[in-house]
Amino acid sequence: MSGIGVSLLQIGLDLNSIFYVVSLLVFVAYGLYAPRIQVWFALNEIGRGLTRLKVMKDKARKETIDYLTTTGKASGDPTERVDQFLDYITIMPVDIDPNGIVGKIDHVVTTRDERVRQEVGTIVGDKNPVTVSVSENLLEAATALNTIHKIVRHFYLLGKKTSSYFMLVQLQMLMPMIIQEADALVSAVDTFKLAQPLGDGIGAVIASRYMVGREKQTIAKDTVLAVNEYKGRKLYVVKAEGPMAYVGQPGVGIRHVIEEMGVKPSAIIMIDAALKLEGEKTGEIAEGVGAAIGGIGVEKYQIEEVAAKHKIPIYAVLVKQSILEAITAMRKEIAEASDKVMTLLNRVIEEKTKEGDDVLIAGIGNTLGVSQ
Amino acid sequence: MISSRSVVEKKVKYTVFTIEECPVCGQKTKREFQPGDYVTKDGAKCTKCGNQTRISLIYAETAKPPK
Ligand SMILES: [Zn+2]
Repeated sequence: MSGIGVSLLQIGLDLNSIFYVVSLLVFVAYGLYAPRIQVWFALNEIGRGLTRLKVMKDKARKETIDYLTTTGKASGDPTERVDQFLDYITIMPVDIDPNGIVGKIDHVVTTRDERVRQEVGTIVGDKNPVTVSVSENLLEAATALNTIHKIVRHFYLLGKKTSSYFMLVQLQMLMPMIIQEADALVSAVDTFKLAQPLGDGIGAVIASRYMVGREKQTIAKDTVLAVNEYKGRKLYVVKAEGPMAYVGQPGVGIRHVIEEMGVKPSAIIMIDAALKLEGEKTGEIAEGVGAAIGGIGVEKYQIEEVAAKHKIPIYAVLVKQSILEAITAMRKEIAEASDKVMTLLNRVIEEKTKEGDDVLIAGIGNTLGVSQ
Repeated sequence: MISSRSVVEKKVKYTVFTIEECPVCGQKTKREFQPGDYVTKDGAKCTKCGNQTRISLIYAETAKPPK
């Protein structure tokens, strides 16, 4: 008994031993509590991101209200209407339908777009189509940011409540990408307010070069067509109607040209912005085949359908850019790619079609700040 | 320790410019963007040949606006 007491005293007096015992304890404690420590770090990091997301969503909301009041000349305070709209829900159709759901998605999305335009129409006093279209886009951006914030907050609180290690770590891993996308959306707000062309508008810029000074006709909602000629080929050029912030309905438009106007193009050439991979240069041009169009997939489906049915080859010309560059003011590198795209486009027309042919050219993307 | 870093690009100040191009002689003039500008809109008269110019491009650049 006394022997043990003496030896403990001897160890206790030795500083090195104390240090050894303590570090051993820390090591064991870390082994036992590592997940909890990781949870604590994850909560901290997500918490910081969440605060940033909240600042961003509040900024977008405030800017939207400001724009509606000042430029839009809203009668009365639009705050309540905007707040109500931020939680507007679109319910997608059931996806087990074997008869195809693209038509249903199209219907739901079109209804939503109509509703947004109608809502904006009742808020703004200024009926200038550019102001109305910009307001629509601002509302959409604010809604998207609101949704992102709400979803991240949901998983943050749920993870906190349940101390769920895996839920929190997954969210923590996704946070940088989420923040990046939110940051792009909030940066887009400034560009929209000034009605400057977006990086995504490069397809519209190219199409407008063929359309300027030509007679235009509306072939689908917010979508126009002009006819031009190039080296003996008849060019049918389609783009969304600018300089409003429209993307139009190129799918419906192309079908209209082929099926209702009876044009038999020997090629469809689509020009669009494409997301670059990390490491790729902004403004790089890529050529390929297939329908070059993003979005929910309705337009892509419509174009592929009509092209396959009439056996028309689709060629694509893409201009690479990041998500941020696509929805903020068009960067110089992208704008300066336009001359190269024109050269490439003319080469594709010359190589893939012959004199006397009809060619359909579609400039895809948001046409804000780009008329025709 | 698992951690990740925010990848938001450093905020760089961009200035937006408007390019007016003369369809006859091809002369290009660069000026700062004015609200209401859009691609294909008529610009000022060409300083070289007096024809009507047209806005051909609008883009953002890191350069400072000319004083
Ligand atoms: Zn001139």
